[in-house]
Amino acid sequence: MKNLNLASITGLTVLVLALLFSSFIASAADKSEINTLATLRDHTEITEQKEPVRIPNVVNKDIKQKRNYPMQPPVIPHTTRSYEVNMNNNKCLSCHSRQRTEESQAPMVSVTHFMNRDGNFLAEISPRRYFCNQCHVTQVDAEPLVENTFTDMHSLMKKKVTSAEND
Amino acid sequence: MTDNSKNITSEYHVASLIAYCILTEVEKVKLAITNIERTEIHAINEQGKIVFTIEGTSHKDIGKKMDIIRVHSGILNLSPVYHQVLDESADNDAIE
Amino acid sequence: MTINRRQFIKANAVAAAAAVAGVTIPATASNLITSSDITKLKWDKAACRFCGTGCSVNVGVMDGKVVATHGDIKSPVNKGLSCVKGYFLSKIMYGKDRLTTPLLRMTNGKYDKEGEFTPVSWDKAFDIMAEKAKAALKKDGPKAVGMFGSGQWTVQEGYAALKLMKAGFRTNNIDPNARHCMASAVGGFMRTFGIDEPMGCYDDLEAADAFVLWGSNMAEMHPILWTRLTDRRLSAPHVKVAVLSTFEHRSFDLADNGMIFTPQTDLAILNYIAHYIIETGRVNKDFVNKHTNFRLGETDIGYGLRPEHPLEQKAKNNGKTAGSSTPIDFDEYAKFVSTYTLEYTSKLSGVPEHKLEALAELYADPKIKVTSFWTMGFNQHTRGVWANNLVYNIHLLTGKISTPGNSPFSLTGQPSACGTAREVGTFSHRLPADMVVSNPKHRAIAEKIWDLPEGTIPATPGYHAVLQNRMLKDGKLNFYWVQCNNNMQAAANINEEAYPGYRNPKNFIVVSDPYPTVTAQAADLILPTAMWVEKEGVYGNAERRTQSWYQMVEAPKGAKSDLWQLVEFSKRFKVEDVWSEELIAKKPSVRGKTLFDVLYKTASLEKFALDEIPEDRLNDESRDFGFYIQKGLFEEYASFGRGHAHDLAPYDRYHQERGLRWPVVNGKETKWRFKEGSDPYVKPGSGWDFYGKKDGRAIIFALPYEPAAESPDEEYDLWLSTGRVLEHWHSGSMTQRVPELYKAMPDALVYMHPDDAKARNMRRGDLVKLISRRGEVQTRVETRGRNKPPRGLVFMPWFDASRLVNKVTLDATDPLSKETDYKKCAIKIVKV
Repeated sequence: MKNLNLASITGLTVLVLALLFSSFIASAADKSEINTLATLRDHTEITEQKEPVRIPNVVNKDIKQKRNYPMQPPVIPHTTRSYEVNMNNNKCLSCHSRQRTEESQAPMVSVTHFMNRDGNFLAEISPRRYFCNQCHVTQVDAEPLVENTFTDMHSLMKKKVTSAEND
Repeated sequence: MTDNSKNITSEYHVASLIAYCILTEVEKVKLAITNIERTEIHAINEQGKIVFTIEGTSHKDIGKKMDIIRVHSGILNLSPVYHQVLDESADNDAIE
Repeated sequence: MTINRRQFIKANAVAAAAAVAGVTIPATASNLITSSDITKLKWDKAACRFCGTGCSVNVGVMDGKVVATHGDIKSPVNKGLSCVKGYFLSKIMYGKDRLTTPLLRMTNGKYDKEGEFTPVSWDKAFDIMAEKAKAALKKDGPKAVGMFGSGQWTVQEGYAALKLMKAGFRTNNIDPNARHCMASAVGGFMRTFGIDEPMGCYDDLEAADAFVLWGSNMAEMHPILWTRLTDRRLSAPHVKVAVLSTFEHRSFDLADNGMIFTPQTDLAILNYIAHYIIETGRVNKDFVNKHTNFRLGETDIGYGLRPEHPLEQKAKNNGKTAGSSTPIDFDEYAKFVSTYTLEYTSKLSGVPEHKLEALAELYADPKIKVTSFWTMGFNQHTRGVWANNLVYNIHLLTGKISTPGNSPFSLTGQPSACGTAREVGTFSHRLPADMVVSNPKHRAIAEKIWDLPEGTIPATPGYHAVLQNRMLKDGKLNFYWVQCNNNMQAAANINEEAYPGYRNPKNFIVVSDPYPTVTAQAADLILPTAMWVEKEGVYGNAERRTQSWYQMVEAPKGAKSDLWQLVEFSKRFKVEDVWSEELIAKKPSVRGKTLFDVLYKTASLEKFALDEIPEDRLNDESRDFGFYIQKGLFEEYASFGRGHAHDLAPYDRYHQERGLRWPVVNGKETKWRFKEGSDPYVKPGSGWDFYGKKDGRAIIFALPYEPAAESPDEEYDLWLSTGRVLEHWHSGSMTQRVPELYKAMPDALVYMHPDDAKARNMRRGDLVKLISRRGEVQTRVETRGRNKPPRGLVFMPWFDASRLVNKVTLDATDPLSKETDYKKCAIKIVKV
């Protein structure tokens, strides 16, 4: 079932990408080179404005995303709309705290979160980590405006292993 | 989501820690660490810091092992530095 | 596959622990992809690229690429934490559209203002730049050339730019984007204390009993300081947090006393607190008698608009005397603030009386150690300097200053607004170490250190940031170089001032940037620029902490650092091209030399040889110019402040430390300035010594509430406030290129009260137009986001290059600091 879903999602993405790509070609062709610089403005003159896109939805699939590197805080794979995190209440911890993970099957907050400023281990999550959204953010269903060419260290290492084997 | 709950054992956990030891007790602490299943010592320096890892199958598993080591009288302080979980269930691999 | 991944994450776990412990792992101990030259990850420290908090981060490099970043556990600032932006630093350099070649607007192979951007060589780029600069200098003299820099320049870059402009081209037309951000804070410090930058430090966060946030959304804008404040509040239950703003935001989540006030009435609230302290007999008389003076400031000082604007025509004292004041005594001051009664202030501000009283009591109660934080709410304010003066008043009246936890603390926006803009003095009126160009003694000191003839530095302040855009539009500033900022997105009123200014056919605009920003789009020549750890540098944060980092990776081929660009460009000018014969005659030895010889390849800089750079370290600029230029520039710059309460440590020490807070005297940093025992510059026996003023006394200013430049009326019926968001740094030119950050906060929405939306027949997600007297911008309505404005006010962030909110904002400034008020203008919103 899950695999099926995934397959259809992938199919959709391909379709959307194809559409995006073709529209990009079209707009690039009829605009002068001067505008192709404006990557974050979708090639629009400063004096003009492209119609703002709709507010995208927050991705709410509960599928973990790969981290860019091990220390990266994981992004939130679900919506957090109307989650209260204030002095009286921390909604995130109602699933992610150590005591609740068995019930919720949500990932437990990392052990680093139990360390205080001086690196000592506390019995509870350190208050300095109280506001989860300072590091953990939700993701909307939108294509980035500009591709990022960041390289995963694992792919660098794998490349070297492969080339070493081929030698 | 619910599918994952059945596959708790498909998780691989690794945590790295630093044990600050009383200098004269380093050998005893080393033994205490290596006596525990799936631990590995990676480095020790002359100030009595031991860098080691604990591997396991769940948070609880790691925590239990950590608690055994923590109470050793030769340890001044035990600092967990890093903990990562690898979900090795079939679903996860399919995504990648 | 699985085994590899296990081994891989285990290796990372080991590496992280080893790094923390400071232990090296023997090669045999890493049991994964076993060859150590394959797994080798080089970790090094750097200052975070983003805000003024100044976190230290560890940067992991493999094969010449940054592959990981995380909070530096050894840093006293952040102790291992980073905010979400900090965690994604590793991706900011890798947007696919990094610029790698200079681009010049050309038609048929020739420069043409209306031409298309065409790749050219660096040589050709510098040719046309030099030609245009020389033409401008020849036609109208040094006033016709100018530069707009940044609080994100490294200290060395700012210092090199300052020299090039003030000494080389002999113009004071250099200003940083810190003008938009910190100028009012500087004005406040200079006016009250006679010396710039906070007296306290971040250690106040663990010592205070109460925190008051005045126009500062720390939860989003200074997230790591917010973690420290949260830590303190939640672990010490007696601690109270008061938050004041014109709209509700994330910092209210921790507020014991949250207050929404009508824009501009913060001035009245501050005076009410002073009145309350006096009325309830809680003035610290001993402190006030020994350490303060009272003065009455000039009023009705205008709004820093163009002189022909009706508001300026109406203002009585918007000329040179705007910053003047006359001495008064305590009784006169008490009488002055007595008009700010609880009832009057509550009515004016819209804050309930009991909330105002509770706030005032935090300051008045002698047992409560109180730290005030403020950022753009105070600084971006047409009475920004006043607001700064007024908050110092209440700390001075109670003597709650310069001791742990008692701290009026101006937070900085940018990573080196303090280090580069303020300490180096890259402002149109300043020189290093708080000196100013209008003071002949200060000019003489600079000319001596720079080994230049007397009279090299011009005495009149140059064009400040806002004036630069106006002068561009008026065709009086014709050669203009923008580095390390995005002012076509950041400046207010770009429709009427900045854009026509950049595109004025009389002007030649150069923009240096790693990415094609909105500003680059408006330029005539774009220079591809190296960034962050692609170069060596120093930043100075909000608590006077100076931090350095080494170059860790090569920049993309073709991109060059701002420092390299400045210094290389200086080779294009003979002294005869830029100096008068009269000046050259005072020092004939400079004849025939280039500005490079006179400003950079000097004995003072060149003595730091290449062999001082560790062999395994990259340093593209130094190896190109033939000496350790970053060290040379730093040491020469540091000589301005050493012995003058701005002491910096020797350069090399910064490579070892996670930063040091100046003044660094006898190798020791200073935590609390002006207090005996913690500040070595304080006269023994004085207790406190505000040595920035000749008599050692800080000034308590009587200054009134005056209305904002533009308030809502029948037609433009809403206040507009602009600002930042957690996920994006400033204009988003780096963070919008990180997919995770983009997807966390892709577009700038207008945050609106649901009833305001309803009254206009709008719903969440509707396409709307924000219209002011100056321009319009389209976006979509958000009624349930993280910001919850009261009725009558909307908030729209400015990070979004495709929705330029600054087409709408008003370029009204504080007449004293020349800083723009981005928090208040009148707009209407209509459905599209």
